Amino acid sequence: MTGRAYAEQPFEAPEPWRGFLWLSLRECHRVLRLWTQTTLAPIVSSLLFIIVFGLSLGGRISEIHGYPYEIFIVPGLIAMAMAQAVYSNNASTIFQARNDRYIDDVLAAPMYAWQMNLGFNVGGYFRALMIGGALTALAAPLTGAPIERPLYLLVVVPLLLVGFGALGTIVGIYAHTFDHIQFVNNIVILPLTFLGGVFYSVENLGAPWEEASHANPLFYVVSALRYGFLADADVSPWLSAAVLAVIASVLVVWAQYLFSTGRRLKP
Amino acid sequence: MAEAALSIRGLAKRYDDGTLALGGLDLEVPAGSFFGLLGPNGAGKTTLISAVCNLLRPTGGEIRVFGLPNSSLAARRMIGIAEQEPNLDRFLTVRETLIYHGGYYGMTRAESARRADEMIDVFDLRAKADVRAPKLSGGQKRRLLLARALLHEPRLVILDEPTAGVDLELRHELWRYIRRLHEQGTTIVLTTHYLEEAEALCEEIALISGGRIVARDTADGLKRRYEAQTLEEVYLKTVATGRLAAAREEEVPA
Repeated sequence: MTGRAYAEQPFEAPEPWRGFLWLSLRECHRVLRLWTQTTLAPIVSSLLFIIVFGLSLGGRISEIHGYPYEIFIVPGLIAMAMAQAVYSNNASTIFQARNDRYIDDVLAAPMYAWQMNLGFNVGGYFRALMIGGALTALAAPLTGAPIERPLYLLVVVPLLLVGFGALGTIVGIYAHTFDHIQFVNNIVILPLTFLGGVFYSVENLGAPWEEASHANPLFYVVSALRYGFLADADVSPWLSAAVLAVIASVLVVWAQYLFSTGRRLKP
Repeated sequence: MAEAALSIRGLAKRYDDGTLALGGLDLEVPAGSFFGLLGPNGAGKTTLISAVCNLLRPTGGEIRVFGLPNSSLAARRMIGIAEQEPNLDRFLTVRETLIYHGGYYGMTRAESARRADEMIDVFDLRAKADVRAPKLSGGQKRRLLLARALLHEPRLVILDEPTAGVDLELRHELWRYIRRLHEQGTTIVLTTHYLEEAEALCEEIALISGGRIVARDTADGLKRRYEAQTLEEVYLKTVATGRLAAAREEEVPA
């Protein structure tokens, strides 16, 4: 075929799903390549919380809501580990891709904006599920923590992943330095999770701190997972699921707006 | 008549800080041509290229690639870009970089792996196939960028300063490969600072200054029109004129 004939031949439209799958695969590949940092470290630190606070000190603390302390803290610790994992993963992967500009290879590719957004999030979901799965598998024999409402968990865990994943994406897009990513994690997510009742029932706080805890979005995350594991929580499980759904929806719309318009991603 | 490989109408870009990089630029690049874009730093070359490749938010105008809007999936699939600054995925090896790129562009794993091996051989990266991008030398990164741009067999290849900072031997090697690609019918848009490179490779050259095309012709045509002995003379005459004109416009009170 002559050069001109090649230049004029019709061109087949690409299969955008394939691009999305490869981007998702790349994100999981990144998580696995850095597995000591992305997966092992959060599992070890959460297990240490269970061992130190639950098994060592738990015997000196009376039961909470009818559960021994070492069981009571397991759902909150899993919620905290998963929320931090999906947030950190998505924020750092987007930030690195922006900083080194290899995000251009994706932004120029034949994919829809929502596929790019979702593709970048898949690694965070994968990482958080590995951590949550491993912690559940390890904590169950160690503490005897049950899973009383598995179907409820199947609803709220995806909401947690989508919400915190989108938060990570947004922060990764706006961040100027890695410090900004760490700031949100250390100054916002971590304290709010601790104050959301990971280690105690907010009922024990008394007014006005109990009421104030209800203004903390992380309180509903902890409550939702606690209900899924123990069939017991400080608030209605449906209120927790609804709050998670609202948070996830707002953050997903925001993240998608950034990908659809290219704001902050493209000059 | 065949669609132009690239058709740009009234392309404008004003950055958030107020800098006007492109002010209503028009450009048509015929299918199958080897087109050079010359201009000084800050003339708008990279802005123009970024806009074509959906890496920038233009503030106005229209871009079509082989008749299709540049943001369409089909148009995106037809473009291959090697950017000026090496922007390689730090987590991937040379081979993975190429395979994943093929995947992003809709290729199957088998197709992508086959092309990756071809490109690794063509660009002499076999010994580095399992090495991660940050560990490559400058020249190897440059070759990998080019291999990645060409992996999905685009019909329009955009090369932004592909030989900047590479040694003479590699430059000639890259020229040979780019020429061969053009002979196979691929449309090539090349930006370069090296005037001899533009003269040696390009069928047609556009000079860009202040976000506008100030002259466009073959290298010989430009020399005739501007009564110049060399392309360098043409460059100085046109770009200097363009800069002076832009400066004069800025001086006129609103």
